[in-house]
Amino acid sequence: MNSSLEKHSPKLMVLPVFIVLLLISLVPLIYVLGISFTQSTLSKPFNDFIWFENYKKAFTDEIFGASLVNTLLFAFIVTTIQTFLGFVLAFAMQKERKLSGLFRTLALLPLFTPPVAVAMIWRLIYDPNSGFLNYYMRQFGIFEKSVAFLGDPKLAFPAIMFADIWQWTPFCFLLCLAALQSLPRDPYEAAAVDGASAWQVFRRLTLPMVAPQVLVVFLFRFLIALKVFDLVYMLTFGGPGNSTQVASFYIYRVGFKQFNIGYAGALSILVLILISVLATGLTKGRDFLLRKLE
Amino acid sequence: MAAENHFDDLSEKAARKDLGYYLRAIFFGRPARLVVLLLFIALILIPVIFVISTSFKIPLEIRLGGSIFPQQGVVTINWTNAFENVPLFKFLTNSTFVAVVSTILALLVAVPATYSIIRFKTGGWFLPSWILGTYVMPPIVVSVPIFALVKAVGLQDQLMGITLVHAMANIPIAVWLIDSYVRTIPRELEHAAWIDGYSKFDTLLKVVLPLIRPGVMAAGVICMILSWNEFLFALILTYSVRSNTFPIGISRFIGEHGMQFGEMSAAALAGMIPIYILVFFTSRSLVEGLTRGGVKG
Repeated sequence: MNSSLEKHSPKLMVLPVFIVLLLISLVPLIYVLGISFTQSTLSKPFNDFIWFENYKKAFTDEIFGASLVNTLLFAFIVTTIQTFLGFVLAFAMQKERKLSGLFRTLALLPLFTPPVAVAMIWRLIYDPNSGFLNYYMRQFGIFEKSVAFLGDPKLAFPAIMFADIWQWTPFCFLLCLAALQSLPRDPYEAAAVDGASAWQVFRRLTLPMVAPQVLVVFLFRFLIALKVFDLVYMLTFGGPGNSTQVASFYIYRVGFKQFNIGYAGALSILVLILISVLATGLTKGRDFLLRKLE
Repeated sequence: MAAENHFDDLSEKAARKDLGYYLRAIFFGRPARLVVLLLFIALILIPVIFVISTSFKIPLEIRLGGSIFPQQGVVTINWTNAFENVPLFKFLTNSTFVAVVSTILALLVAVPATYSIIRFKTGGWFLPSWILGTYVMPPIVVSVPIFALVKAVGLQDQLMGITLVHAMANIPIAVWLIDSYVRTIPRELEHAAWIDGYSKFDTLLKVVLPLIRPGVMAAGVICMILSWNEFLFALILTYSVRSNTFPIGISRFIGEHGMQFGEMSAAALAGMIPIYILVFFTSRSLVEGLTRGGVKG
């Protein structure tokens, strides 16, 4: 008996994870898929079977379309800026051995600040009366009147992006720094012997060697950025109008504010398909880029 | 160590000193680096300094002015108001309970599973991709069924409900973080333990666990912070002061009672300070855990 327990112990060790994965991904996804074919409310799930009606509705839903475009735009813009800034900072930091400990601790602060607190801080900063942004803009004569950043359809989305960039650039910085520090030393010594300039060393050595890992950072951050919800909920609630509507928030609104969980289910499935396609495409695209760089 | 100075030596050796040379020397030189780094520190710290100083400003000054530092004296009324008007203390104890218990549960499940997946290839290629896929999936997608599930077992609006959901949601992340630590353990150590008659469980407990302790620590702290900060599940699963965690508690309070900026700053800080203290004491292992898990490819 003891030996059979011993034989099966690797399986026993993963059994709880297997059950958890069933509970948080597979079973819920089957539930969502099922419910997406029905007319359902939060109190009355699986009320009436309506086949693809919810999906048909989704394809003509302009707010849903706008929310998808906004989500992709948001993820692409913030990820690009964060990866670029993170890399520049990591490159600058690389040779400051003494400061790097302090910097890394500092970098962790925005990253681990509760999103709800991040939202409060930026709400305060953007506020027309109490925020310092408007105050100094007026002092230096850039604006004549105060601007309600979060109330302006054109400015609200960039304002959310800026708060996100504050929070997540340190993440890209830390990962890029780790990537730079893991590079082998020998090629640099060879380049020094050959008398290469700093720019040549950067262009011919550092960049090609570090590119694969920086692309991983980009991909990783991009996939996380697609989940954006908290900042939108706390800063603008999708508004003004639907100018900051994103996919996660729209699904939340349909499911938990309008209680139409059948439709929310259909939207969820569509978002999931889109993200899977994107993730596969981006992974393939990364391999392609890397081959080109070589 | 010698390699560190090569960039500086090289720029002096560069043969032709045209405009491009000077531009590059500016962008790659130490002064430029220090300016970039100072800007970075300022950008990180200014919002935090502003919220701290706002929490000590006189409420009238907050409403009228917007300079970073208090101009008309320092008061603690925002702090006392925040703790008196908002059940902040209750939210913070709720969050502490949820974060600590969910992290312990997540680690209890994740550590043996990670060991088994790496060492015995249990679940082949499929289980690791499933775990990663679960992490990439936006949580909103499964929020309705999770809500139904928690309601079905009668744990809605209860601390245990949100605790279990946080534990389950953090397990994929914990596995992902501990993974790289398990990989670095030499197999020979485990083989030696087996020859000595240790079972696989004993080997995990007595040989492997002490070696991966830094990874488990890092994963634990990260899970704790993620649970403390988590918003969406707490939003749909907790509806009263009894079970509201800190993020939901204060966001709901602002929505319903219209909090003043001073109180809001104090309340936000009350939720940030525990995290900052934790980060301060564990920053080294946090950075290592994050970067090792992050750039695996």
